[in-house]
Amino acid sequence: MLKIIVPTLMLIPTAWLSPAKWLWPTTLAHSLIIALFSLSWLENLSETGWTSLNLYMGTDPLSTPLLVLTCWLLPLMILASQNHTSAEPMNRQRTYITLLTSLQLFLIMAFSATEIILFYIMFEATLIPTLMIITRWGSQAERLNAGSYFLFYTLAGSLPLLVALLILQNNTGTLSLLTLHYSNALTLSSYADKIWWAGCLLAFLVKMPLYGVHLWLPKAHVEAPIAGSMVLAAVLLKLGGYGMMRIMVMLEPLTKELCYPFIILALWGIVMTGSICLRQTDLKSLIAYSSVSHMGLVTGGILIQTPWGFTGALILMIAHGLTSSALFCLANTNYERTHSRTMLLARGLQTIFPLMATWWLIASLANLALPPLPNLMGELVIIISLFNWSWWTIALTGTGTLITAAYSLYMFLMTQRGPAPAHVISLDPTHSREHLLMTLHLLPLTLLILKPELIWGWAF
Amino acid sequence: MNPYVLFFLLFGLGLGTTTTFASSHWLLAWMGLEINTLAILPLMTQDHHPRAVEAATKYFLTQATAAAMILFGSTTNAWLTGQWDIQQAIHPLPATMVMLGLALKIGLAPMHSWLPEVLQGLNLTTGLILSTWQKLAPFALLLQFQTTSTSLLIALGLASTLIGGWGGLNQTQLRKILAYSSIAHLGWMALILPFFPSLTLLTLIMYLIMTLSMFLAFKLNKSTNINTLALSWAKTPALTALAPLMLLSLGGLPPLTGFMPKWLILQELTKQELAPAATMAALTALLSLYFYLRLSYAMTLTTSPNNTAGITPWRLPSTQSTLPLAIAATTSLLLLPLTPAMTALLKL
Repeated sequence: MLKIIVPTLMLIPTAWLSPAKWLWPTTLAHSLIIALFSLSWLENLSETGWTSLNLYMGTDPLSTPLLVLTCWLLPLMILASQNHTSAEPMNRQRTYITLLTSLQLFLIMAFSATEIILFYIMFEATLIPTLMIITRWGSQAERLNAGSYFLFYTLAGSLPLLVALLILQNNTGTLSLLTLHYSNALTLSSYADKIWWAGCLLAFLVKMPLYGVHLWLPKAHVEAPIAGSMVLAAVLLKLGGYGMMRIMVMLEPLTKELCYPFIILALWGIVMTGSICLRQTDLKSLIAYSSVSHMGLVTGGILIQTPWGFTGALILMIAHGLTSSALFCLANTNYERTHSRTMLLARGLQTIFPLMATWWLIASLANLALPPLPNLMGELVIIISLFNWSWWTIALTGTGTLITAAYSLYMFLMTQRGPAPAHVISLDPTHSREHLLMTLHLLPLTLLILKPELIWGWAF
Repeated sequence: MNPYVLFFLLFGLGLGTTTTFASSHWLLAWMGLEINTLAILPLMTQDHHPRAVEAATKYFLTQATAAAMILFGSTTNAWLTGQWDIQQAIHPLPATMVMLGLALKIGLAPMHSWLPEVLQGLNLTTGLILSTWQKLAPFALLLQFQTTSTSLLIALGLASTLIGGWGGLNQTQLRKILAYSSIAHLGWMALILPFFPSLTLLTLIMYLIMTLSMFLAFKLNKSTNINTLALSWAKTPALTALAPLMLLSLGGLPPLTGFMPKWLILQELTKQELAPAATMAALTALLSLYFYLRLSYAMTLTTSPNNTAGITPWRLPSTQSTLPLAIAATTSLLLLPLTPAMTALLKL
């Protein structure tokens, strides 16, 4: 574990001490090497599931894919931010890389914590760098509003979680993920226990985000700079799903009855946010709402608590992480050229950027879950397990899939196809940097389907 | 101010607090509190303008009332129980009286209205003394005498965290914001006082460090309202980058120092089966966080449009030593991983 954390920590001196000319290449190379070494976590031969254990941290098949995704995403964020920060003074560029690095550090510690309190502290600690990325490096005045929404939605959910965790600690005497399963089952029967149940889950449901408490997410995505959007969609939302899967074990007898309203909200949210996407004019907002819709499916899969549900949720989280991050990068390539997020203003780009249109096609197809991609596998597994749980759910999940396909197609057709309007003729050509960025997003996604057991979680 | 007079006054400040620390007799403790109050009054009025005089008058009246209540309570206690000792069991009636007197003295809600008004009338140095050193003597008494009124303290504590957060929301003056932040922090200390006095001490120490760093930072910037904060990046860029972290630490966000006292207090409250009170206190901290966040927005996270004369104000190099600020800022950011050392130090 330290072999990843210490080099990540040393990225900060790298960012501050490397000469200005080499700042982006060195940090990129450094973070790519870290990502390469993080792949060694995937080789998990232990019988208990836990490997790389030290006193406070370890990984198991549930957290490993998320950890590798976190490490993979930092070089991509660095690659993506190179252009839009190039006008800033050198020290601010270094500060920006420092913020991204500290975010990765907190995320690694959150996903690998074996103590729930450490997970909680790191879960909260990711708020500060993300807040600064959104509110300091966002481009419009509305970013302040978005930052407040982000911070207060998350904290209003997670402060009751802290109290709920401390109550759990008083009752079981431990909060260690390694032994919590073996502690005596709690007797949960009173009304207070039901409130406690809600306290345990609400923070994660806000983070996911569940439909109804999702308003912070589109705001944050629209206002954040590209690296902020990428990490938010790819990893930070997954903290919610990860936390839910970890804590569900302790909530045993209550979840069966109490989860109904939340499942209904999650599934209803798929349809609703999908419909919002269909009438969206803002490209980044569309991708953000599509995240909410996909995360609704993940929430549903987790809340029914079947092995298949958990597996599907984890697969979809990883696949969605790469896909949505890729879509945000593509949206950013448009934004850096047209300085607008409005889809109507940048149409027919296929004739101008043919290779970029290929990336758009693959990313849109991944978003609507086309057969060979892990997105399909995740969605299918969740939809099947939900169907098995109650066959009425197919009405919502099926409609949701249809709507997802519709808005992905709408997004692709709107931005790429048709005649190019006269005002977009003289756009800057694409860089190899941008094509590399897209390759590094979409290549792992297509390769993952060849060895899906890497992201299956507990189920293999 | 004449250095001899200044020395005499500072000596009085120290003597008053030390007297209260060292006394086991209510009368002597009261005397220490009074010496303390009388010594800071000339310091408050050293910039002799009407606002400072008004602040000093308000401070004098409230502190005199508080001290009179403490004296009356301890005399009643001597009348009823026949002893003056602070650490002996105290009769419930005078206990409540003394408690309310001390709450007025430190500015716990609902006896808090004087604090923002007084702090706003002072310069930053005196304000710093008022919100740090002047809290020590009353807290020495609060920690020593044995109160039985648990519910009173919980009510005072919750009211203070709520009002401290609420009151600061529409303030634009930094000293008033710091005063409300002080009220909210005092609320947390009062909340845990009946269950775990050492934790009150820990919270007090953390509060002192964080307030010290904020006051020193504002003093270095010479800023007393939110608008002037917007120019601080031109004066002290490194401090401007750190300031939002210091503010969020004051707001109690992990992984910064400010989370430590809140975490330990919530833990103790849940152990005492007071989870609703703990949740409520935690959620009222969000109100305080809102104005800390607004300060961070104004100071660091936005750069307001300005002309050249605006962003490069005429200024002299500061003579203020930056070492205390550096130490206070470091401690107010990075102490959370050292929580075990801090709890061991205070024998929690």
